[in-house]
Amino acid sequence: MISTILTSAEKAIVDANNLKDLDDARVHYLGKKGELTALLKGLGKLSKEERPKMGEAINQAKVEVQALIEARKEALELIELEKRLLREKIDVTLPGRSVEKGGLHPITQTLNHIQKIFAKSGFEIATGPEIEDDFHNFSALNIPEHHPARAMHDTFYFDASTVLRTHTSPVQIRTMEKQKPPVRVIAPGRVYRCDSDVTHTPMFHQVEGLVVDDEASFAQLKGLLIDFLRAYFEKEDLKVRFRPSYFPFTEPSAEADIECVICEGEGCRVCKKTGWLEVLGCGVVHPNVLTAVDIDPEEFSGLAFGMGVERLAMLRYGVNDLRLFFENDIRFLNQF
Amino acid sequence: MNISTRWLREWVNPDVSDEALAEKLTMAGLEVDGIARVAPAFDGVVVGQVISCEKHPDADKLSLCQVSVGGDENLQIICGAPNVRQDLKVVVATVGSKLPNGLKIKKAKLRGVESRGMLCSENELGISDSHNGIMELASDAELGECIREHLDLDDQIIELDITPNRGDCFSVMGVAREVCASYDLTMPTLSYQAEVKDSTDFSANVSNAKACPKYLTRVIKGIDNSVETPKWMARRLQRASQQLHSPVVDITNYVLLELGQPMHAFDLQTINGDIDVRMAKKGEKLELLNEQTVSLREDTLVIADDEGAIAMAGVMGGMSTATQIESREIIFESAFFEPVSIAGVARSYGLHTESSLRFERGVDFNLANLALERATELVLQICGGEASAINECVDDTQLPKVEPIAISTSKISKVLGFELAPEWVESKFVSLDFDIIQKTDTSWTIVPPSFRFDIRIAADLIEELARLYGYDRVPVKSLTLDANITSASQATVDAYDLAQVLVNRGYQEVITYSFISDEYQDLLDPEAKKITLTNPISEDMSVMRSSLWPGLLQTIESNQRRGHHNARFFESGLCFGGISADDQVQKIAGAIAGDRFSAEWASESKAVDFFDAKADVESLLSLSAQDVTFEAAEHPALQVGQTAKIVKNGCVIGWLGALSPTVQKKLSLPKVFLFELVESDLQTGDITSYQGFSSFQASQRDIALVLPKAIQAMDLIESIKSLKQALLIDVHIFDVYEGEHIAADKKSIALNLIYQSDEGTLTDEQLNQNVDQILSHLQTEFSAHLR
Repeated sequence: MISTILTSAEKAIVDANNLKDLDDARVHYLGKKGELTALLKGLGKLSKEERPKMGEAINQAKVEVQALIEARKEALELIELEKRLLREKIDVTLPGRSVEKGGLHPITQTLNHIQKIFAKSGFEIATGPEIEDDFHNFSALNIPEHHPARAMHDTFYFDASTVLRTHTSPVQIRTMEKQKPPVRVIAPGRVYRCDSDVTHTPMFHQVEGLVVDDEASFAQLKGLLIDFLRAYFEKEDLKVRFRPSYFPFTEPSAEADIECVICEGEGCRVCKKTGWLEVLGCGVVHPNVLTAVDIDPEEFSGLAFGMGVERLAMLRYGVNDLRLFFENDIRFLNQF
Repeated sequence: MNISTRWLREWVNPDVSDEALAEKLTMAGLEVDGIARVAPAFDGVVVGQVISCEKHPDADKLSLCQVSVGGDENLQIICGAPNVRQDLKVVVATVGSKLPNGLKIKKAKLRGVESRGMLCSENELGISDSHNGIMELASDAELGECIREHLDLDDQIIELDITPNRGDCFSVMGVAREVCASYDLTMPTLSYQAEVKDSTDFSANVSNAKACPKYLTRVIKGIDNSVETPKWMARRLQRASQQLHSPVVDITNYVLLELGQPMHAFDLQTINGDIDVRMAKKGEKLELLNEQTVSLREDTLVIADDEGAIAMAGVMGGMSTATQIESREIIFESAFFEPVSIAGVARSYGLHTESSLRFERGVDFNLANLALERATELVLQICGGEASAINECVDDTQLPKVEPIAISTSKISKVLGFELAPEWVESKFVSLDFDIIQKTDTSWTIVPPSFRFDIRIAADLIEELARLYGYDRVPVKSLTLDANITSASQATVDAYDLAQVLVNRGYQEVITYSFISDEYQDLLDPEAKKITLTNPISEDMSVMRSSLWPGLLQTIESNQRRGHHNARFFESGLCFGGISADDQVQKIAGAIAGDRFSAEWASESKAVDFFDAKADVESLLSLSAQDVTFEAAEHPALQVGQTAKIVKNGCVIGWLGALSPTVQKKLSLPKVFLFELVESDLQTGDITSYQGFSSFQASQRDIALVLPKAIQAMDLIESIKSLKQALLIDVHIFDVYEGEHIAADKKSIALNLIYQSDEGTLTDEQLNQNVDQILSHLQTEFSAHLR
């Protein structure tokens, strides 16, 4: 009897192809109304002598069936898992669920890069208005009316004494009006010139720098700017040269050239075959400028410098057309 | 300014190559923009003369010439140029020579006739693009002379970019002075003195001596201005990019290039009465040499005769008194016009001349006499004639005062950061023609020469020393860092942080022009004060923006035209409410259009809406954790019913909304959602003050209310908060529904209420009490009832 049940149970378990069939089999044999359970219930009808032997045999059978079920269950679970894994398999090369790609404008990135470098040397950021008065944009910077340098500036006017700032230098004046030495600031921002062609846009960006201290020399200005340019172009041995130049608000004045970063000084179209690229103007602040803001030029000296951000960005990123910066074509902007 | 190295080397001739000389000039502050050979390399080309010229027996267009190059034997050369003729002095490329275009001259037969060389055009020598036949040389050219020598073709042209302070370098003499100072050479001494043979006493008068402290004139009579300007002079003028005119004009231009003194020549016979140097009368007419007739202003200095203005002083002569080929009698003018009086005048009439360029920057006031003598010498030499005495109108009191300047070694060291030897300093002052009037071992008092208008203070002298020492030799030092720790609050949000929030939310930053078109301004911010440029680049860029939206919308429009329909752009920049500094406000603005995502496999694409833009604004606001409300409002650029003003402490700090459909249509734009905020209002937050939190579990209750449509979500939440329930720690809306099962004038809002106590887990009874209070409150306030 038991062996018959056992045989049929064994078959039922092996035949169970899924967990539900297996559970049905468990109920059929081991459940409250199961066949083996029924045998146990029938033990009472047996003689005292037969009862323990039979009971043991039934329990033995129960354990065996239980074990078979467990084993089968494990096997079936494995199969189920494998099926599930197969079912849930994905193409991991599909792109991630995304938000649109955003980014900062390359000019902003360049400005950030410049600001970070100067921040390490203790430079604060100063700002000023873009609609400027004649005093801050010209007179205080030692550019009196009728100075030939004014003609070079192609100024936008609102009225005779109100202009769009032609350079960030007025921020020098505004800073010194508010802050007594020591001063160490850079002033990034938009500037405007009434000029528009392949190599000029009517608006562009500059970063101005100013140091005022009781000791500030041309030799230090050289040191500062060489360090800056090497940091900016991430080239420790970048060649930098200083040439005499002229700005009304500095004396001595200089322009700094770097070895052409396109041809590494060999001479190419970008550097007009000279091997050098002009990147910034600088100098020792003209005593008249200090005097204009009530700083005694005998006591303090100043160092100033200014650079065109678009030029630095073009050299850094290899952009060959200035106008791209202001066309805001997403195909251009997305590259940065 | 273009300067010939051969001409320069006639003045001073340092023993270095032209290239090294150019480099030296650059490093001394006269920036060389380029250096170019006047002719490419070639050899074996000489001066020849056509002895005979016949037609080629077998070709109509060819000539058969016998050409002498100075040897015993003539060369038979076939030439196709129409201007070949007997006796002409020509350029002969002899057999064996190689021309710049690669052509090698060999003995050849042309249509059966032997040709032993070639007569050359300028084009064939690579010195111009001219195809006007073969070159015609001067009749006195020496046969057999190497053409490079004859035409000075080994010359190089240096293009100098002269800074405004160095007006003294706009001449060969000026550059030569610089070369002398750089190479420690000595300038040649100049002396010109014409013999006075004519006794004409022509008087000039200067009414405005302040503007014209020195005015020299000289009459020269009996000249022949129809002769040809000598080739050597013509060549130099052309290489300096000067046009050729008649000899007299060419001579004034030559002296201008050579010495830097602008001069003018009048035809004496066209002058009515005397010359007066005076300010123009208002509206006085003057026809200039360039055929432009100007109506003069009273601020313009003119040269006038009895009839009226005959020249704009220091700028350009007049047509009526100009010298002609037929002119026999001329008056030369050589003057000093004071720079400030002349500055800007030419420009104000739209003129820019070699003369105004120099006078504006300052011409040596001691040069006028020398230049006049030099010009006279050249006229007598080239055109003949007899010169009268120089008439001088000079007011010494009005000539520039050159004050002495004191300088010491300690001052030099302070500015430059290193020491220069006193002997060296002194030697440089000498080589710069500075007059040392007083000195000690370590200090000097000097007077700069009259041609150096840029040397007025000690700093100017220091620059001179530094540039002659060589900027590159100046040692490199570090700034002494005495860093100030500044006191920006930790709660300050900088512009970079704000930008980064938007970038992380998928925005691309743009930079648009600060000036926009009138149309955009009127459409988008009609109430703003309009700030207009007087000289805009174009009408489209004439009004200063009061908002960043015009630029953003233009960006969307232009990218859309290129096929990019999904847009998320932002810009940060100044907007202009007025011209004063306080009215220039830094704003940050964004614009979105198209789909929330590009169509992709993983999510359905869906058009952006108001709440996408609002979420972005909320992210910006979250940086400074501000108490800000969004209130329904109206804005001329935005759609009614989809517009919110952003309010902080009762002040509007920004706007958010859908672009108005009317504006959208006018600007051919898609549906766009916009926001704009004043940056400074986003930059100051509070430092967090820590609050303890309960260790007991929080309980949640959801309620769905039906209430009139007009009730705004914010009012509902504010009303609940006004009950100040101590245990209510959060409330938020998780569903809004209108439609089926809800009356047409009603909507359903589902709220999630979160309660928590510091003292224990809340009981159902406590929760019910709280929720019931809210329900009955909302019923009274908004006639809201449970759904």
